Amino acid sequence: MVLKPIDTSLILAKKHKMKKILLIFGVLSLLIFIRPALGFSSDANPKDGITTVEAQPNVDQGDGVFTNAVHGIEQFYNYTGFANATWGHIIMILIGIVFIYLGIKFDYEPLLLIPIGIGVIIGNIPFVAGNQTGIYETGSVLNYLYFGVVKGVYPPLIFLGIGAMTDFSSLIANPKLMLLGAAAQIGVFGTFLGALYLGFSLPEAGAIGIIGGADGPTAIFLSSKLANGINILPDGTTVKNLIGPIAIAAYSYMALVPVIQPPIMRLLVNKEDRKIRMKPPRAVTQKEKMIFPVVALLLTTFISPSALPLLGMLFFGNLLKESGRTERLADTARTKLIDIVTILLGVTVGASTQADIFITKDSMLIFTLGAVSFVIATMGGLLFAKFMNLFLKGDNKINPLIGASGVSAVPDSARVVHAEALKSDPHNYLLMHAMAPNVSGVIGSAIAAGILLSFLA
Amino acid sequence: MMLLNMSLQVDQVGEGYVILLTGLLIVFSALLILSLFFQFGLPLMLYVYRIITKGRDKKIKDIPMSADENFTGEVAAAISTAIHLYLNEQHDDENAVLTIKQARKLYSPWSSKIYGTHQKLK
Repeated sequence: MVLKPIDTSLILAKKHKMKKILLIFGVLSLLIFIRPALGFSSDANPKDGITTVEAQPNVDQGDGVFTNAVHGIEQFYNYTGFANATWGHIIMILIGIVFIYLGIKFDYEPLLLIPIGIGVIIGNIPFVAGNQTGIYETGSVLNYLYFGVVKGVYPPLIFLGIGAMTDFSSLIANPKLMLLGAAAQIGVFGTFLGALYLGFSLPEAGAIGIIGGADGPTAIFLSSKLANGINILPDGTTVKNLIGPIAIAAYSYMALVPVIQPPIMRLLVNKEDRKIRMKPPRAVTQKEKMIFPVVALLLTTFISPSALPLLGMLFFGNLLKESGRTERLADTARTKLIDIVTILLGVTVGASTQADIFITKDSMLIFTLGAVSFVIATMGGLLFAKFMNLFLKGDNKINPLIGASGVSAVPDSARVVHAEALKSDPHNYLLMHAMAPNVSGVIGSAIAAGILLSFLA
Repeated sequence: MMLLNMSLQVDQVGEGYVILLTGLLIVFSALLILSLFFQFGLPLMLYVYRIITKGRDKKIKDIPMSADENFTGEVAAAISTAIHLYLNEQHDDENAVLTIKQARKLYSPWSSKIYGTHQKLK
C-alpha cells in the first residue's frame, strides 16, 4: 500500500485547525465559568459592589481587605487540627503509629494491627464537631461504616470466613480435646466476675469478660449487644459504650499471644510433661467432616441459641468448605469476603478510639482486666489438660501445653504451643494436636457469648 | 444512697456467681455432648449407615478410613508446611518504588483511518 505525502499533510493541517478551534472554545468557556470567581461581574450584579462598601463603611478599603484576610486565616486556623488538638489526640495518634510499627516491623498480626493503627490515626485527627466528620456523628461516612460494628454485622461475616478456612479434622479425630476449649472459657467468666467487683454493671461486665475468649469478632459482637451505649439498665441509667476499648483490647491481646502465653506455660507445666509426645491423630473421612458442621450447629445452637449468628455462620462456612460442591463460595468466603470485612472492621474499630471518648478510667480498667483474663484463660486450659492427664494412660496422654491453645486466637496460640514444645524437644510437633483445642475454643467462646447474651441482654 | 449502691453491687456480684457457675456448666456440657457424639455417636451412625447400604464391615473400628491409614496428620502437616514455605518464597520483597516510563511513540499507524481510505479493490 502506497501513501501519498500530500494527503497526509492535508489531513494534518485539518487536525491542527480543529485543535485551534477547540482550544479557543475551551479558553472562552473557562473564562465564562470563572468570571464570577474573579469578580468580573460587570453589569450582571451591580449591587454586589455596593453592599461590600456598606458593610464596612468606616474602614478604608486596603485595611479592610487586610483584616478580612487575617480574619479568614484565623477562622481557617480554628478549623484545622492544630487548633483543636488535645494531648489525648496526640497520645492516641502515637499509639496508632506504634500499632503500625509493631505490625510492619515485628509481623504481629499485621492484617489487624495495620488497619486498626491507621484507623486510630483517622479517628484522632482533631476536627470541629458538627460537620459530619467524626465516626460518632450521625450521618458521617465513617459512622455508616461503623454501623456494621455497632449492630454486630461484621463479626458473623468474619466467622463465615473462619469457618471456610478451618479444618476440624484434628478435633473429629480426638474429640476429648474439645473439653480444653471449654476449660479456657473460665477466663471469660472469671473476668466477668472481676469486672463486677470493680463496679461495672452486669451487661458491661459480660462484654468485658468475653475478652478472655481471645476472639476479636466474638468480643465485638457481644459488646455491640451488651455495652453499646444504647441499652437501658434496670436502675434507669444507660449502659456505657465500651465497644472501642473492648475491641482494641481483644485484638491487641490476640496479637500479643506470643508474648503472654509462653511464660505461663513454663510456669505451670514441668519439663517432663512438656516432652510428652502424642500419637498422631487418625485420618478423618470426608463423610465425618461433612457431618461435623451440621451436627455441631444443631447441638450447640440448641443449647445456646443466642450464639446463632456466630455459630450459624461458622458452621455454614465450614460446610461450604467440606461439602466439596461449593468450592467457589468457600473460596470467596475465606479470601475476598473476609478480607473486605477485615478492612472495614479494622479501620472503623481503630477510628472508634476517638480520644475524648476512649481515654477514660474505664478503658484503662478494661485493658488491665483483658490482660488478667488472658492469663486466667491460659491457666485454665493448661491446668485442665493436666487434670485430664490424671485419667489418661500411656499412649493416650496429652501434652498439657496444648491446653494453652484452648483460648481461641486461631491459629496463633496453636503456633505458640508448637514453638514452645519444640524448645523442649526439637522433634515434638504439636501443631496438629493444638489446633483441636484451638478451634474448639472458638466454638466455646461463641457459646459463652451466647450464654452471657441470654442472661444479660 | 451509698447503702443502696452497695446492696445493688452485692446483688450484682451474687448474680455474677450464678452466671459464672451456670455459664461454665453450659459451656462444658455443650462441648462434652459434642465430643461424646463424635466419640461414640458418629461411629455408630456410620456403622448403621454401612449396614443399611452394604451390609458388610461389622466391626466399628474398621469403619474410619481403612484405605489410607498411612496418611496421618503428621504427613499432612509436613506436606502443608512444604507448600507454605514454597508459596512464601514465591513472593519475595518487591521494589516498592513505582515509576512511570514514557513510551516514546508519538505516531503509530496501527489504527489510522488514512490507510483505510486509500485501499482499492484489486
